[in-house]
Amino acid sequence: MELLWDIVISALLVIGGIFGFVGSLGLVKLPDPMTRLHAPTKSATLGVGAILIASMLWFATKQGHITLHELMVTVFIFLTAPITAHFISKANIFRDWPAETLPEPAGEGEWAVHQADADTSEGELAVKKETEAAREED
Amino acid sequence: MSPALIAALPFLGAALPSILIRTGRNNAAAVSALITGLALLGLLLNLPTVLAGGVVETRIDWLPWLGLNVNFWIDGLGMLFATLILGIGLLIILYARYYLSNRDPVGQFYTYLLLFQGAMVGIVLSDNILLLLIFWELTSLSSFLLIGYWKHLPEGRQGARMALTVTGMGGLSMIAGMLILGHIAGSYDISEILKHKDAIQASPLYLPALLLILGGAFTKSAQFPFHFWLPHAMSAPTPVSAYLHSATMVKAGLFLMARMWPVLSGTPEWFYIVASVGLITMLLAALIAIFKHDMKALLAFSTVSHLGLITFMLGLGTEAGALAAVFHIINHATFKAALFMSAGIVDHEAGTRDLTRVSGLRKLMPITFAIATIAALSMAGIPLFNGFLSKEMMLEAAFHTSWLHNEWLVPALATLAALFSATYAFRFISHAFFGPVSTDLPKTPHDPKFGMWLSPAFLAVLVVAIGLFPMVIAGPYVQMATNAVVGGGYHMHELKIWHGVTPALFMSIIAVVGGLAFLAAHAPFQKIWDAMPRPEAKVMFDWVIARAQALSDWVTQGLHNGSMARYLMLFTVASVGAGLYAFSTGMIGAPTRELTPVNGAAIVAWILVLSATLCIVAFHHNRILALVMIGIVGLTVSISFIYLSAPDLALTQISVEVVTTVLMLLALNFLPKVTQIESSRFKISFDVALSVFAGAAVTGLIYALLTRDFAFPTMSGYMLDNSYNLAGGDNVVNVILVDFRGYDTYGEVTVLGIAALVIFALTEALLQGASSRKLIAWRPDVARGGDKHPLMLLVVTRVMMPIALVVGLYIFLRGHNQPGGGFIAGLVVAIALVTQYMASGFAWTQARQKVYYHVLIAAGVLVAGITGAGALFNDMPFLTSDFGYVKLPGLDKFELATAAGFDLGVFLGVVGSVMLALGGLSRLARRAAMGEQEGENGPHIAAEKPEARVLAPLAAGPYPPEAKVPRRWWKTARAAKEATQAEIAAIHENKKNHGGDH
Repeated sequence: MELLWDIVISALLVIGGIFGFVGSLGLVKLPDPMTRLHAPTKSATLGVGAILIASMLWFATKQGHITLHELMVTVFIFLTAPITAHFISKANIFRDWPAETLPEPAGEGEWAVHQADADTSEGELAVKKETEAAREED
Repeated sequence: MSPALIAALPFLGAALPSILIRTGRNNAAAVSALITGLALLGLLLNLPTVLAGGVVETRIDWLPWLGLNVNFWIDGLGMLFATLILGIGLLIILYARYYLSNRDPVGQFYTYLLLFQGAMVGIVLSDNILLLLIFWELTSLSSFLLIGYWKHLPEGRQGARMALTVTGMGGLSMIAGMLILGHIAGSYDISEILKHKDAIQASPLYLPALLLILGGAFTKSAQFPFHFWLPHAMSAPTPVSAYLHSATMVKAGLFLMARMWPVLSGTPEWFYIVASVGLITMLLAALIAIFKHDMKALLAFSTVSHLGLITFMLGLGTEAGALAAVFHIINHATFKAALFMSAGIVDHEAGTRDLTRVSGLRKLMPITFAIATIAALSMAGIPLFNGFLSKEMMLEAAFHTSWLHNEWLVPALATLAALFSATYAFRFISHAFFGPVSTDLPKTPHDPKFGMWLSPAFLAVLVVAIGLFPMVIAGPYVQMATNAVVGGGYHMHELKIWHGVTPALFMSIIAVVGGLAFLAAHAPFQKIWDAMPRPEAKVMFDWVIARAQALSDWVTQGLHNGSMARYLMLFTVASVGAGLYAFSTGMIGAPTRELTPVNGAAIVAWILVLSATLCIVAFHHNRILALVMIGIVGLTVSISFIYLSAPDLALTQISVEVVTTVLMLLALNFLPKVTQIESSRFKISFDVALSVFAGAAVTGLIYALLTRDFAFPTMSGYMLDNSYNLAGGDNVVNVILVDFRGYDTYGEVTVLGIAALVIFALTEALLQGASSRKLIAWRPDVARGGDKHPLMLLVVTRVMMPIALVVGLYIFLRGHNQPGGGFIAGLVVAIALVTQYMASGFAWTQARQKVYYHVLIAAGVLVAGITGAGALFNDMPFLTSDFGYVKLPGLDKFELATAAGFDLGVFLGVVGSVMLALGGLSRLARRAAMGEQEGENGPHIAAEKPEARVLAPLAAGPYPPEAKVPRRWWKTARAAKEATQAEIAAIHENKKNHGGDH
């Protein structure tokens, strides 16, 4: 049984390592920012995920207690990684892709990054405009 | 009442008038009078003891190892001065109530006046020269506020500055002199110093000490050649002139000379310096006073002259001289304050106090005329008024004085000065009150309200009463004070009006008759005087100040020219120099420790830091890229902290890194994104050589330290051993912060708060006036993308917010025993809040911000301070912490430590400071993104300026998209520099071409 767990944990660590390496390699090898953006996602999800599972298994089987830190780490990565990718791609579109080279977006208007007064959170931020105005008058 | 309380009362009550002014001027004046009256009453309760020759003392040890103790005493001299200060203060408070107008901030005036009064009483009652010096400087500061009270008048501000400069310099000189004196006597208590006359006068340091102390006394009492500030200080409101510049502050110098008289006087040095300066001042100032048209200027120079008289008398070093000085101090205070107040009444009622404009006021203002005449006749030395008595004493003493074996010089000069004095006194009366009634005055003068003339009238009554019955009214006081001046054992002869036919009587007659004759011939003399070239003190003073400023500018600009590179260069050169010196003079032992083996992880971190640092050097012209590189260095350092088992440091480093990056981004917003190359190749080479050398030196030093054991055991052993036993915490880092070195942390949190408030104040100033317009006109130098608040970020930050807050709370609570604590928790919470500002925008977040960050800072410092002060109630030193263990049902046993309260203060202070600083900077950015629009009430800030958001074409930005190599930043920077230079050249060319047009 001991050995089985050892094998499983080691395998997970190796898998994590491989995906981490693949992600880094992709970052170097891939030709432009948009494709390069794909590489780190592999190491962030599969790579880190495998290592986190390995960690949980190790604590559960070797130390005899269950840890939940890894779940928290997973939650935070799931929350932050898409935001990072989102911002990198937006910056890239703004910097390297003039509006005319992009496909027409659905609905009205331009791509948000190319439109000076665009605000995708407009509705959300406007919810309490009236109370704000009242407070500013105070 | 204890002397300390008498001196403290005016300070304690100083805030009251400023608060009560909201209920009206009467209440502000009444409360000031009440405080002054209370202090005066307390003083007079001690009068019987002091009159009987006793001394009342309060002794409190403050900093005994410095010799600085709060020792107060009331002896005869202190009693005399304190009575004058508080008594005349009371009259001035009444007078000022009617003199100041509705538009003046009267509450402030009374506050300043009480502060000044407290400082003055402090001087005269101090029994410790260091304490006396503190009050001495306080009088300079508070008189600065009073002289410059009318802030809208440039003369007032300049006069206040001049007075502060001159008396402040004198104060510095006096500090040095007093320290020498205390050193010789072996004590800083005045009562002790006064016992060491022989030791002091025999000391080789006597002359330097004397000169330095006289420097302070002469500047304060406006003695030649420092007399010039006093007339300029007359731009103060008249109550201030009457109080500070005739009755009290200018007499502080005299007080000091009288106080030190027993130990300093009696030597030839004392006589030739003090008496000569006094005599010259008396003569010169009296002469100038004759030709002044401004009533207050005339009185100002006459005050200088009378101060000279008193200095002269003290300088004689005889008991008769001391007696004349003390008596004239009383007499001068009464008649001169009355005269100033009369001049103020004339100014107030007639709208001018120019002697060439006002005349014949006798008929319009009979009461004022009576008061002014009595006081002026006393000043002229007419019998039956008090001025006559002390002037007789002065002339009598002068008659018996020989100067360098010259028997007639001093009597002649003294008579001449008395003659001048009579002249200007007569002129004051005849030009203002006699002659034809002037008709072209700004206002038709009439006698003022009862309250306004009551004070000078009271003083005029005193003038006559002392003049008629000197022995009854002033006798005991004069005996008491003179006895204190000469150091005890003094018995005064009876003060009387008629001494028989004496030389002094003839000198007096010459002076009065000569004065009348001079007045009769005043007009031609005035013409000659006006035609004469005279040195103008203000011009010379301004010249000296301008030169001094130029010199300090030169020195400051040479060292601090605003270039960060130069500061760092100077700092590095100095450190390397100090290191080289230490290395060449010290010695270094053989290595005692082996290096720990290097492993792969360390090498990777090392390579990361090294390459990031080199990248910063290579790419620092691109500021954003440099910021990213700095972030890499910071994160690698954090990881190495974890590797070296310092989780607290790692947590702090990571959070600080995040906050710093946000802060830098906000600042970089306004800076060009590319730094131009401005340095010459030589400077670059020098800087490179210097930094390489300094880096190598630091590396060598660290290597030497790492391979050797410490010569002495370090502190850390103690901390590790006692952290749990003494402070109940397992986390040594946190225990050091909140307990062992709690005082440091308390100071640091306070400093952090102050820094944040300064940032706020600076940005607030930038949001006003010209810089605000500059911000509005500012355009970003690179194109801005749209979509300021991406929805994804918005949603995630709101999800993260509670989690981050819980993490902050968790880190805070575990801090005492595990990595964490208030500082890190504060940073984590601040970051959580910052993300809200970034995602949802400043306006949205600020509108939901219910607690001001200022309040958080204040609360932090207060909470920390109150927790620390709690220890005082258990008779423990400030910031001693206590801890205990609590068992609640359903929970594990847990620890409660007072240090947690302190840590809470740290937490609040950090959150407030970080947010206030970031908020200030982001307000600038927000203002820059706004436009100005004309509205109903003039221009106001519109929500957004559309033109600022118009996208500039990409090619116009500083990053050429075709360039691929990293060196492109260098190229861009060079191109930008060349463009700027071309632009400058074009401007010059333009100027040259258009230069001939106008």
